[in-house]
Amino acid sequence: MRTSIQQKLLVYLALLPVLLFFIGPILWFLALALRPPETAFTVPPQFIFTPTLKAFEYTFLEPGNNRNQLLNSVIVSSGATLLSLPFSVSAAYALSRFQLRAKRFLMLWYISLLMAPPIVFLIPYFVVMARLGWVGTHASMIIVLQTITIPFSIWLLKSFFDEVPDELEEAALVDGANRLQALLRITLPLALPGIIVTSMFAFVFSWNNTVFPLVLSNQRTATLPLGTLSYFATTGVTWNYIAATAIVTMIPPMIIFLLLGRYIVRGLTFGAVKG
Amino acid sequence: MLAPSVIVLFSLIIYPMGFALVNSFYFWNLQTSPSPVQFIGLSNYQMVFQITPFIDSLRNTLILSIGGTFIEFWFGMGIALLLNSQLRGMTIARTILIMPTTVAPIVVGFLFRYMFYEGSGLFSWLLTSLGFAVPERGLLGSSQTALASIAVADIWEWTPFFAIVLYAGLLSVPEEIVDAARVDGASRVQMFWRIILPLIKPTAVIIIMIRFMQLFNMFDLVFVLTRGGPGTASRTLSYNLYYEGLVNYNIGLAAAMTWLIVVIVTIIINVYILIAFKDWEW
Repeated sequence: MRTSIQQKLLVYLALLPVLLFFIGPILWFLALALRPPETAFTVPPQFIFTPTLKAFEYTFLEPGNNRNQLLNSVIVSSGATLLSLPFSVSAAYALSRFQLRAKRFLMLWYISLLMAPPIVFLIPYFVVMARLGWVGTHASMIIVLQTITIPFSIWLLKSFFDEVPDELEEAALVDGANRLQALLRITLPLALPGIIVTSMFAFVFSWNNTVFPLVLSNQRTATLPLGTLSYFATTGVTWNYIAATAIVTMIPPMIIFLLLGRYIVRGLTFGAVKG
Repeated sequence: MLAPSVIVLFSLIIYPMGFALVNSFYFWNLQTSPSPVQFIGLSNYQMVFQITPFIDSLRNTLILSIGGTFIEFWFGMGIALLLNSQLRGMTIARTILIMPTTVAPIVVGFLFRYMFYEGSGLFSWLLTSLGFAVPERGLLGSSQTALASIAVADIWEWTPFFAIVLYAGLLSVPEEIVDAARVDGASRVQMFWRIILPLIKPTAVIIIMIRFMQLFNMFDLVFVLTRGGPGTASRTLSYNLYYEGLVNYNIGLAAAMTWLIVVIVTIIINVYILIAFKDWEW
């Protein structure tokens, strides 16, 4: 279809404020992290200021502030992702390759778990972890996160396994390989990009999760999103520190989503939409 | 090969559910006792309605999920149609649009708490400058605007999700069908309603379902923006449960509420599944 100059102009004119609306709050918060504290709440808002890295220095260079939470976030998110992989890879492979009577039921059960309110599971876990004395451990968070990472990864991974042609595996079976060898030598390497994409999504979902650490962590094991909260809970809200912590929290998921490129549609829809 | 995942998930689900079911019949406040105190039958279920704003929370939750999904879908659809113009710079536009979706909901809460700040917040200031009346106690402090403000933050984060997925859907609409319709003299509007929308319906139904449930479970934004306030003006079901269970430590009552929510959610999910996965190839 030929578009006239006026039509093109109209599209850009409509899109510009929209994009401004979506990027604005992020840039405004970045500005908050960089501005001198006394300019944070002026009326009218101050758009010009001398940037300073003091908030980042305070939160991430000084020991005992947020550096540890960054480490905790890495431990909990990688732990939750790695722990889910053996369970989800084997289940996704089976659901993709074999005609099972329970297939439909299982797939729907997994997706229902993804739709369930996390808070519902949380209170019983809290009471039990408290009794076991596990509250404040990384393990407690990693275990409870499996309610999200396993079902999500199964759905997404199945869509990747579905794309590896059955024939390749059958050819290997004809050549005398057994099912396990065929899986390990043929299907798994071909599905590897899918497994990596799935892990990256599982990592981001775990990274951004706040509900579980909010209840299951303590001061020593708090994750980075909770770091923002710590400045909020204390008296005298220190918004520059909140902003600095928040900006650092945002960076890993942003980088990962930029890397994921064309897989984003698929990941965000649990593999239900190929994109 | 399925057994490990089923066993792990089953134990992770069945345990809390069973725990909640048993304790929903007991009086048990964790502040006063480390274990259930007394069997009280169905009293907890009664008290959910009597002493917690359960109905108000349910109403807020429904307003938020229905309104939020509706606005995000159509706003996202509009953006997807703009992106579909295939002009230069749409890759950059898409990249910018992905940004909000990557931000942790709790951080989105802080972004908007700052934007909504009384007087000096960028959003409040813009509204005032444009001549709109901003409530004296701020957008988050007024019961008229608190819930809507939470919705605005969620719309900011998740409209791009609809835009990106629907744009992918639009790209997969076959060129020939659109051309044929044009030859037959269909207008742009007709083409959208009669051809494009039916073709992307399966995608649309699935993402509407995902988003509706995420909104229905809304917790993080409420926690940072309003804590359900002022009063109970913006309290959602999830926040109400959190408040009873992990602020008041009223475990028995929270357990009863858990089951009421599970029943509601199960009904909604099943209705959706019937619609969304009707013609699904397993």
